[in-house]
Amino acid sequence: MTEKCFDIGTIQAFLDGELASDLSEKVACHTAACDVCAIMLAEAEEETAFSFSALENEFDTFVPTNRLWAKINDSIEGNKKTFWQTIFARFSNPSVAAFAGLVIVVGLFAVMLSVKTDDDKKIFIAESVPNKQAAISTIFQGNLSESALPVKPEITDAGSVKISSPDNDKSKFKIVKADFSEKESNRRPIKVQKPNIITELNSQPAADAENENLLGEDSYVKTIATLEKTVDSRKDEVLKPAARFAFERDLAVTDDAIRKMKAEVKKNPKNEAAKDVLRASYQNKIELLNSVAEKSDLMASLK
Amino acid sequence: MIRQNTVVRKSCLLIFALFLLAPFSFVSAQIIETEGKIVVSPVKQRIRVKQKSKGVSDDSDQPAEKLIVVDAKVKLQLCVSTGKLKVSGWERNEIRAFVGGGSRVGFKVLQKSEQNGMPVWVEVLGFDPTKNNGNSADECLSGDEIELDVPRGATVNVKGGESETTIDSVRKTTVEIEGGDIFLNNITHGIYAKTFEGGVTVENSSGAITLVSTTGNIVAVAVGASEIGDVFKAKTNSGAIALQKIGHRQIEAGSNSGSIRFTGGFQSGGQYNLGTQNGSILLSIPEKSSFKLNASYGFGVFNPEIPLQNLVKTPTPKAQNLSAQMGSGDATLNLKTVSGAIRIRKQ
Repeated sequence: MTEKCFDIGTIQAFLDGELASDLSEKVACHTAACDVCAIMLAEAEEETAFSFSALENEFDTFVPTNRLWAKINDSIEGNKKTFWQTIFARFSNPSVAAFAGLVIVVGLFAVMLSVKTDDDKKIFIAESVPNKQAAISTIFQGNLSESALPVKPEITDAGSVKISSPDNDKSKFKIVKADFSEKESNRRPIKVQKPNIITELNSQPAADAENENLLGEDSYVKTIATLEKTVDSRKDEVLKPAARFAFERDLAVTDDAIRKMKAEVKKNPKNEAAKDVLRASYQNKIELLNSVAEKSDLMASLK
Repeated sequence: MIRQNTVVRKSCLLIFALFLLAPFSFVSAQIIETEGKIVVSPVKQRIRVKQKSKGVSDDSDQPAEKLIVVDAKVKLQLCVSTGKLKVSGWERNEIRAFVGGGSRVGFKVLQKSEQNGMPVWVEVLGFDPTKNNGNSADECLSGDEIELDVPRGATVNVKGGESETTIDSVRKTTVEIEGGDIFLNNITHGIYAKTFEGGVTVENSSGAITLVSTTGNIVAVAVGASEIGDVFKAKTNSGAIALQKIGHRQIEAGSNSGSIRFTGGFQSGGQYNLGTQNGSILLSIPEKSSFKLNASYGFGVFNPEIPLQNLVKTPTPKAQNLSAQMGSGDATLNLKTVSGAIRIRKQ
């Protein structure tokens, strides 16, 4: 081997096609002229062919060599930029920067508008002639008691009646109705701002409350919630994996039954069979949760 | 000078060699430590567990056996931490306790009869209270084999951990265990059996019966009431319930995800409440049965293979109520399932 000859590693890399193009060209020229290197290349080729045929199955899956990984990693390192560098690079384009500015301005306007709309929903102003008595009746989930009123009527100095919600919980009240009885004839029509929005907002919770109260299921739900808290804190230590699996499966079955029956009762509130089965499902869930608590108690008594 | 240089060079080489060898010594130390853990830890653990289960563990290789003379209607209570328990009734007014391969055994008399002075309430302990004050001992019995012979009129109360329990020919029994099967036979005046992981099987017994399992099956064959008003209850979460020849007039059986199979006739004036969440209810009854039927089923089906009279069904497509009658309607049958089937066929 002469000084210009290449080592076996370079020749192997040449065979694997991992050399740079200029070096690859050099190796090709050199092996054409140098007998020693040509023999070495031939031997390497034979060895490679032999090993490839023997390890054909293993080479079917594409596994990059270490050198390839090193190259890939180096190129990634070279291209790696910080987050802020990437962001600033994006905004170097003037059209992108202008578009972003526009989006920010529109966003600010949208926020301001939504805040103003919320304020409008809270307050209704019914204009009235001065010295007129306003009889305002409100209905709060069927009750007319004054203490339960979610709205507070106020007569302002300007003669208008201002009805404002004391808190932001709009779901609590159902219908707001303002009636005015006047002694004098020169009255002006009542002007209520955006009453439709309130009606739409409140009609859904009212219907839900009606359905929930159909079965008197509050006590079931409360009991289950209390039991679930207890069981969740204990079940990992009380139940073995197999029992835990069975418990979770049974719980899922019961929850599914409750969900289906609730939907059925909601659809048809007069279906007594659905109500019966729903009650039985609630009872089953309570018993299921109780079983974990009882096992926990037994284990504690044995310690 | 030259000698000093040589010494310095040699010491540098030595330090360098030590640095080179340091990782190898660390790795070999790790291997030795790991090997030690693998070999030694199970043995240590086994010794520890055995000591814990023995309670008073002085000479546990020898079986322990004790006998006490008691009243014929003695109440017996015991606790079993591990092991196979077998309680049998015999004609003598004595309690014999035997523990093989486990704890010691002893009796503690909790109450004596005012008439004859015989013990009427006895606790079986995992140690001998005459030799040990029980400060450091486990009260629960444990062993490979635990046998008790008790008077036939005895009431037996068992509480335990993982224990297969068999009780035969006693007056009354209460069993509550964490896991393991329960077999009860020939109990004359009532049963309360509860296992959290295992099945319950009852045969030829009477009295008020309550059988509860969390993940196991419940089987009851040839059971009946010993007094008017005795109730039969069976409840399991994941298992099936099989009832055959039930003589009680009030029956309540419920399973969450298992099925219920009832075979036999109905008692006149009896009330039978059977309910499942996700399992089917199958009744195999005599051809000339007499009952009123009320069935509620959510998403299941109702499939009677015998002719029913006065069949009334709600018109709703889901969650239906159904009532019907067979014969003169002496018994009342309430069946409830969410998504299982209800089938009634001839026996």
